[in-house]
This record gives sequence, C-alpha cells and structure tokens, in this order.
Amino acid sequence: MAANKEKRKLSASPAVTAPEAKRNMVNKEKVKIHVSHLKKSFGKLEVLKDISNDIYEGEVVVIIGPSGSGKSTFLRCLNRLEDITGGEVVVDGVDITGKKVNINRFRENIGMVFQHFNLFPHMDVLRNITLAPVDLKKMSKEEAQKKGMELLERVGLAEKAKVYPPQLSGGQKQRVAIARALAMNPDIMLFDEPTSALDPEMVGEVLQVMKELAGMGMTMLVVTHEIGFAREVASRVIFMDDGYIVEEGTPDEIFNHPKEPRTIDFLNKVL
Amino acid sequence: MAKIITVYGPLLFRAMGQTLLLALCGLFFACILGLIFGLMSVLKSRVCNVIAAVFVDVIRGVPMIVLAYFIYFGIPYFMNNILGSRGFTLTALQAGSACLALNCGAYMAEIIRAGIQSVDKGQMEAARSLGLPYWRAMLRVVMPQAIRTMIPSIINQFIITLKDTSILSVIGFPELVNTAKNVVSITYMSFQTWGIVAVMYLTVITILSRVAKILERRLNRGRE
Repeated sequence: MAANKEKRKLSASPAVTAPEAKRNMVNKEKVKIHVSHLKKSFGKLEVLKDISNDIYEGEVVVIIGPSGSGKSTFLRCLNRLEDITGGEVVVDGVDITGKKVNINRFRENIGMVFQHFNLFPHMDVLRNITLAPVDLKKMSKEEAQKKGMELLERVGLAEKAKVYPPQLSGGQKQRVAIARALAMNPDIMLFDEPTSALDPEMVGEVLQVMKELAGMGMTMLVVTHEIGFAREVASRVIFMDDGYIVEEGTPDEIFNHPKEPRTIDFLNKVL
Repeated sequence: MAKIITVYGPLLFRAMGQTLLLALCGLFFACILGLIFGLMSVLKSRVCNVIAAVFVDVIRGVPMIVLAYFIYFGIPYFMNNILGSRGFTLTALQAGSACLALNCGAYMAEIIRAGIQSVDKGQMEAARSLGLPYWRAMLRVVMPQAIRTMIPSIINQFIITLKDTSILSVIGFPELVNTAKNVVSITYMSFQTWGIVAVMYLTVITILSRVAKILERRLNRGRE
C-alpha cells in the first residue's frame, strides 16, 4: 500500500530518483529467472555472446540498447521462442532449455507481448483472450469469459469484446494483446518493444497499462526505447550492446551517471 | 444429334457419373496426401522437408498418363513377376483413383505449404507464447487463416483434377471420354458426340465453380 502511494506521488515528477520506492517491492530472496552464460547464434551470426543475469520476483527490468544488440533475442530466449545455443535459462528453479522439459507448461506462466501485437485476426477480441485458457483446460468457457471481461475492463476496452482485431487502432490492439497475455495468469511478463509500432499519440495508453501492471507487483522484462518509461517504472535498467550486457543499474545510475563509454555514447544519441 | 441424345444419352450420363465417382475418390485421397505432405514441408524437420519436396518433384516431373500406365500395368507386373505374388490385380477405379490422388495430392501439398507460409510467423509465436502446443496452435490459429488464402487455389486444383479424369480413359476406366469414344466408333458422329461431351463437362464444372464461389464468400464473411 505504502509503496503504491509513493508511486503515485512519484509519477507526477518522474525525473526524480524514482526507483527507491519500487525497489521495496522486489523480493531479493526469490530469483524468478536465472540466466547464465547464455549464447545464441543464427547460423554464423552470434547474436548473444555471453549473457548472465538474475531476475528477481517483482522486478521491472528495462532492457535498452542499439538495434541489433540482441535485446529482443535475449527476451525470446527466456520463453524459448528461440532455441538457445549455449548456457542455461532457469525459470522458477527449472532449466527450461532441457530436452525433457514441457516448455508449454512454462510458457503458461510467462506472458509475452509483441511489437506487432500478433492478435488472431479471425477471432473477436474476447475469443483472442479466452482461446488459451479454454483450449488448455485451465478454465471453463464461462470462467474464461468472465476473466476476459475483467481484463478488458482493466485495459479499458470492455466495449470492444465482440470486435475483430482489424477494426482496432494500434494502441487498442496492444492493450488487447496485454490482456490476452494476462489471461493465463502468468507471473512473468515479457514485452518486446511494445510501443515501437504505434503512432506517437497511442504510446501513452499502452505505457499506462504497463505501469499499472508494474504497480501490482508483476515481474516484468521490457525491451523498449521509451526512456521516460524506464526512468519512471524500472527497478533496474540493462544496457546491451553487441551481444553482451554492457552495464546495468538503477535508472538513476544508468541515465544520470553512466560509466561505460558505450552507454554514454548510446544515451547521447537517444536522449 | 437427336439420335445421339435419345439413344446414347443415358449411357453418357452414366459415364459422367463414373467420371464424378473417380474424381471424388481421387480428390478425397489427394486431400489427405496434400495435407500430410504440405504439413511435412513446413515442419522444422529436415527429413520431413526433404521427403515432401521429393514427393512433389517426382510427381510433378512425371506426366499423368505415364503415372497411370505405371500404376495400372506396372505395379501388378511388379507384384506378380518380380515379388512373386499370384494374381495381383488393380481395378481401373483403384488405379485411377491412386493416380489422381498422387497427382492432385502433390499440387495440393504445394498449395497447403504456400497457404501456411503466407500466415505471419508472429501468429504461431503468439499462440506458442500462450502455452499452446505446436499442433494446437496450427489447428486453432494458423490453419483457419491459411485455409482462407488456400481456397481459390484448391478449387482451381479440384477443377483441373476433374478434367484430368479424362486421361484415365487410357487404362479403360468407363468414364465420359472412354464411353464417348465407343459411341463415336459405333455411330461415326464425332462432331455431335464430342460436342455433347464438351457441354457436359462445361456444365458440371460451371456448377462446381459457382458453388465454390458461394462457399468462399461465406467463409470470408465476418472479415473485413
């Protein structure tokens, strides 16, 4: 509660050292995702060279870096949308890179939001959300629809339940996509440049939904170019370049006092 | 002309029935083969991809008339004279259906492969990221979208296959062309007979295309 109130106050002045309040919510006892010496190549192209990191419960980790630095690939390795070349990814204590692991069960707990939304165009909005929970027998149809409506309410799109995705604006699509990812009750959410394909005036509505999600204590990994969002919401910022994590720290450390020349160079270009 | 219709009309009608029976049998198995090889060519398995590619290339590279002779005469010969089984035979319907199924199946496999590949890769990824297993995602998310783009090509392929049944007159199946040949050899009225046969094919195929168009429109309803 206290943390929540603090956050409200802070969001009014995002530039101040925001992370202090939110770091309270991070449970440093519990590692949600443990990544060690992760490597990923596409043919001869080495995209991730050696990535090690621990993501704690309740953390909002924002990953920034130039294009081609491996940010998206890193995210996609965490739910095995990409098969990794080397190293290990451990989610909730289980190495998900093992051959015998039932990856589908793990993906239920890891929601993902894509740059291009990837809504299913042949299903209405509510069906987009209820498909996975009903099909995987996690909920009855009625339960899933009730939950779906709650989620749509939360992202402010309850009146669009029966509409087909092609009729939505970009911002609305992305909010539906977030609701869809939440329908399986994941405890980790991955966001792969969720606002990069949006018209500028729609970025805010999507970031607002993400902020609320962060406020509720969701563990989140966000690849984004929205520095404002990172400053305000991130508990930790990771700067990646050329397949490595170059620097990481609180938003204040990264944005106001970067140490590595490459970080400074990048921030000079985007800020 | 009138004589052909009154005397041989019923015969030609029955032959048209045989043509449709042959086409239906062929198309049924062609759909199964097409689906199997089409899916094999999009799977993430080198072995499956190669098998599917070889199947399509071999069938596409052999004229259907050669395939028909090979199945109808070649296979029984192989079974009886080389493998040493006794009295193995294929009816013209069996051989004809197999021939159509293989031929049409190869083209169907290509249509299905292209249809699936036309669906954005993000669709499969989104479905998988929700925890749906591969085949579930294929069935619920990818296939329904792929089928919409495949339908015009599939209808086209059905029509081609229906017309290709005429080639199977060479193995003696009593379909329309084969029967018409017999009528001509008795009556010598080639102009009238072949004219009637042409109109019969045209009628059936026109009806088929119309029905297909209606079906296509209905499937596309609800999408802008």
